[in-house]
Amino acid sequence: MSLLRVRGLTKRFGDLLAVDDVDFDVADGEFVSILGPSGSGKSTVLRMVAGFETPTDGAIALNGEPMVGTPPFERDVNMVFQDLALFPHLTVAENIGYGLKQAGVPADEWRDRAGRMLEMVRLDGYDDRMPTELSGGEQQRVALARALVNEPALVLFDEPLSSLDRKLRQHMQSELQRLQAETETTFLYVTHDQEVALAVSDRLVVLNDGAIQQIGTVEALYEDPQSRFVADFIGDVNTVTARVTDATDETITVDVGSDRVSIPRSVADDVAIDASVDVCVRPFRIRVGPAGTKTTEQSETDGATADGGDLDRATDAEIGETFTTTGTVRSRSYQGSDSLYEIATDEWGRLTAEVRSNAYEPDERVAVAWDASDVHVFSRSADDRTGDRGDDA
Amino acid sequence: MASRDRLGTVSAFFREHPRLRTLAIAGPPAAILVVFFALPLVAMLVVSFQTGQIGGAWTLENYRGFVGSETYLTVVWRTLLLSAQVTVIVAAIGYALAYSIVRFSRRTTLLLLLVILPFWTSYIIRMYAWINILQSGGVLDSLLGLVGLPAVGLLYTETAVLIGFTYVWLPLAVLPFYASLSSLDPDLIEASKDLGAGPIRTFVSVTLPLTATGVITGLVLVFIPTFGSFITPRLLGGTNNIMIGMVIENQFKSAFNWPFGAAIGMVISAVVVVLLVLATRLGGDLLGDGGEPS
Repeated sequence: MSLLRVRGLTKRFGDLLAVDDVDFDVADGEFVSILGPSGSGKSTVLRMVAGFETPTDGAIALNGEPMVGTPPFERDVNMVFQDLALFPHLTVAENIGYGLKQAGVPADEWRDRAGRMLEMVRLDGYDDRMPTELSGGEQQRVALARALVNEPALVLFDEPLSSLDRKLRQHMQSELQRLQAETETTFLYVTHDQEVALAVSDRLVVLNDGAIQQIGTVEALYEDPQSRFVADFIGDVNTVTARVTDATDETITVDVGSDRVSIPRSVADDVAIDASVDVCVRPFRIRVGPAGTKTTEQSETDGATADGGDLDRATDAEIGETFTTTGTVRSRSYQGSDSLYEIATDEWGRLTAEVRSNAYEPDERVAVAWDASDVHVFSRSADDRTGDRGDDA
Repeated sequence: MASRDRLGTVSAFFREHPRLRTLAIAGPPAAILVVFFALPLVAMLVVSFQTGQIGGAWTLENYRGFVGSETYLTVVWRTLLLSAQVTVIVAAIGYALAYSIVRFSRRTTLLLLLVILPFWTSYIIRMYAWINILQSGGVLDSLLGLVGLPAVGLLYTETAVLIGFTYVWLPLAVLPFYASLSSLDPDLIEASKDLGAGPIRTFVSVTLPLTATGVITGLVLVFIPTFGSFITPRLLGGTNNIMIGMVIENQFKSAFNWPFGAAIGMVISAVVVVLLVLATRLGGDLLGDGGEPS
């Protein structure tokens, strides 16, 4: 049985539908992140689980017990707030012991447990400091300790790391994972930062416009996005517009520029012939070679170099299983082991390619290719619905 | 051009003489304080040690007469009780009002404006309005009659004085309460509830301590003027000397025993100073060793 069970969760604020019929489960001991852009309703979901907001509709169950209507102080759930919300008039130990004190734990015991929790978050001896005397990272640890010390069934996180600088944030991510393992607690983490979510979570719930886009492991969401939104939001993606010319049980065939490519059904939405589709490909799936060369054995170099003159282009062309075109390198950025190239292709607009080679210079002509099995095909109407491309990811 | 040059000369002069600059800035207000506040206080202190009239022989008789009189001490005690009652009632209503303005309302500015609106009307006029409401056969009695209740005729009772004070001082308390409540992070209240504290515990261990500065400011602002008040009890409480301020007023205006009035005034001032110090201490304790909340 899952620890947290959310069914049909809906929240309206006046005319605004903030959370729209959300279903998900969190298993005992799991680290689940709710990932979505600002205004996607992810914080509202969290606040309903914590008890600060009452759902308009739907059910929340913790350990099988219905939670809707239970006030926050009677839920076996503790939250780490976005701004941490440490009590400024209490010492670090008093902050951590606050929940135990409310539960009637005697003073010497809660002080003792607060002290041990401070050791666990590596702030030994900070008991009598005031929160305002601590650095941002130390305050994070105190907030964590304050939630964990009560040994709740579920700990909620409302983007607590967003205020930290990158290095400290990465450090706190691994601390979070360590603490989760040590305390064997279940974490539900809300963030707009895919980097954090990908790094720490067992599973992700992707939310947009209040509705769930996809639930799955990090790998599943990355390798098999179910919508253009998810493909865009989890990692970077290039998009090429194409038209469906044929569809069989095994493959669909698309015209893309002067090329005609057949794509396995398994990576495509259910699309009809003549439909306009988005063909999405990850930057690291793209191969780059010098202009005029074959970038793979089976690539259609003829098609790739034919720009303009070929009148009866795709109609008679052999149907390939590789996307190939040519383009000009616009910029290159060095990323350690890889280089990122911005390439203006002759037919498909700008693409970003992430390749091992550092050999191509800006303004150089290059051949570009990727395999049909590495793409994801989404119908255009889905794209229109999901709207902007999640730049805040 | 000429004036700018002169300005330049002046500022250059003060740059070279920082002490003179300090004097130029702090001097005028200090002079006003000395002339209109410190000197009268000293004059009153001097007078309080003189017999019968100003310029009389030195004596402690005024103080002895006041402290030794059970009648006067009873009045002081009653004044303290009444002021405490007023303060508690105003604090309770004012805190609830400020809390709802902060927590539940989007029209904060409008509501705050309504709270301070009575200040635009003269105090005396507002008091006469209350006389009109509270007198027997007045507005209150008519309203009670409409719903079939007996008339109460509250005017010239202590209850009338209490109502009058509560009405007059409420805005004075609401403003500091509002200031401290609006700067209280609502997440702290949620954090407290999240950690298992119910509404009452949350109020006692988070909301109240974190707004203690504002609460004490409000209490002091209500208590002190009530304690020394004489017009409100005179207008609403009738001719009996129920408050010590009225006694002092009598000594100056009717009995013409200024030294005795001055002596009572000095004792009352001392009591207020002691209470003020205690209140400040209490505020410091509530905030803990960490001092001011950020």
